[in-house]
Amino acid sequence: MSSLCQRAPEADPAPAAAPFPYLGPQQLQGPLAAALSRVVDPEVSMSIVDVGLVYGVTVDAARVHVRLTMTSAACPVIELIMDEAEAELDKVVPPELQIRLELVWEPPWSPDRMSPGAKRFMGW
Amino acid sequence: MVGTATPAARTGRPARTSPKGGWIAARALFGALVGVSLVAGIAGGLWRLGVAVPDPLAFAWAGQVLLVHGALMICGFLGTVIGIERAAAVNQRWAFVAPLASGTAALCLVLGHRAAGAWLGVAAALSFLAVNALVVWRQRAAHTLLLAVGAGAWVVGSLLFALGQGGDAVFPWWFAFLVMTIAAERLEMTRLMRRWPAASATLPAVLSLLLAGAAWSGTAPRAGGLVYGVALALLAVWLVVFDVARRTVSTHGVSRYMAVCLLGGYAWLGIAGAAWAAAALGWPTRDIALHALGLGFVIGMVMGHAPVMLPAIARIKLRFGAFFYLPLAALHLSLFVRLVLGSFSEPLRAAGASLNAVAIAFFAVTVAGAAVAWRIQHGAEGARKAR
Repeated sequence: MSSLCQRAPEADPAPAAAPFPYLGPQQLQGPLAAALSRVVDPEVSMSIVDVGLVYGVTVDAARVHVRLTMTSAACPVIELIMDEAEAELDKVVPPELQIRLELVWEPPWSPDRMSPGAKRFMGW
Repeated sequence: MVGTATPAARTGRPARTSPKGGWIAARALFGALVGVSLVAGIAGGLWRLGVAVPDPLAFAWAGQVLLVHGALMICGFLGTVIGIERAAAVNQRWAFVAPLASGTAALCLVLGHRAAGAWLGVAAALSFLAVNALVVWRQRAAHTLLLAVGAGAWVVGSLLFALGQGGDAVFPWWFAFLVMTIAAERLEMTRLMRRWPAASATLPAVLSLLLAGAAWSGTAPRAGGLVYGVALALLAVWLVVFDVARRTVSTHGVSRYMAVCLLGGYAWLGIAGAAWAAAALGWPTRDIALHALGLGFVIGMVMGHAPVMLPAIARIKLRFGAFFYLPLAALHLSLFVRLVLGSFSEPLRAAGASLNAVAIAFFAVTVAGAAVAWRIQHGAEGARKAR
């Protein structure tokens, strides 16, 4: 997907250290946020972090657990976005840690979760 | 990649790096069913307008294909593509029964087994409705409910077709299925934009009008067609005003391309609405109504979403480039020849229809070329992993 997508120029070029709930070692926070910010929803040209699809990241001694949602359960690019997130996380997560991506539907996504840059781009 | 473990090995999610034989066979089967539906549907459409390429007399089932052009394009091609898309979204094997049934139904129609094809089409629509019920169960929202209602419209249209009703009764329902599916997906995207509070309420009202028009078309074609056409035109206005495409058209790459496809499609939707209403009042605009809607709006959407959907569904990665705009321009130009210039000349209408087919074939070649370009850019290893 990365070969297809370019980000909306008005969206924030780099999110804050972790614009989602994060629990884990400080040194992984930035790389994990950056990795997830490289995953782009091609329809709106914004990263999944900017759209607010990342509900939280937890890192413990054994694994990195990422909770993601989608704007629609009928979206056929769900698997593609999950694959892309997996590939980007794989680049920054230490090899001894497992990666767990969990797709969740509760609480439902709402526009309130969008980043300030994404909201600005969409006319909020 | 960090270390030697693949992402799938580290996550426990199903590996996609080495597709199994069953997956490859399924992909080939669905590809063949979609391809047969599209080619036979286009051939039937061309033969109707007297374009004999290839010569219909050389084809045993030409008569059947002529009669079921609409069924092949809407249920066979688009129904199967949408069914695959939804099945991929819910990620359940049983959900692929719907596109398998609709594709097989199209094959039956092509081979002249009209009754079997028609009733298999009903089964496909019912299966698709069940898949949409699962979507609603997972996420109860306005757009998922509209998707389910759209699936219901497909069931009604297919039942009427199986019961032997004519195009005046069937097409409004089948097109309602396509239009509502697209509108629901766009409604979902509009949530990202700041909207007037009335936006969420007006779309169901417009789509209710569309369904009312479809229902009346069977018993009162004049009033029903008028209402249906007005609803299509109102929907075009709604989409132009509220869709994120007005924002994303200012981005770059595939996002801008999708927005251009969407906005062009909305223009044809508005034209289709006016032509549908005019046809109901006795004007000779039926071809404009059907094909501004089916080709300009719906195929325009397909062209727009293919660069994203094909990697998601068929696991075919594409290299996007400005060359994608060429078949899109060809589609719009061919529609102008057929629907505008063709209003004054029957040969020009037939020539425009031929150019419609050329534009679709051009798009297919463009997609194939984009897949090859991606493989060249990323090498065979990357392509293997992408599957």
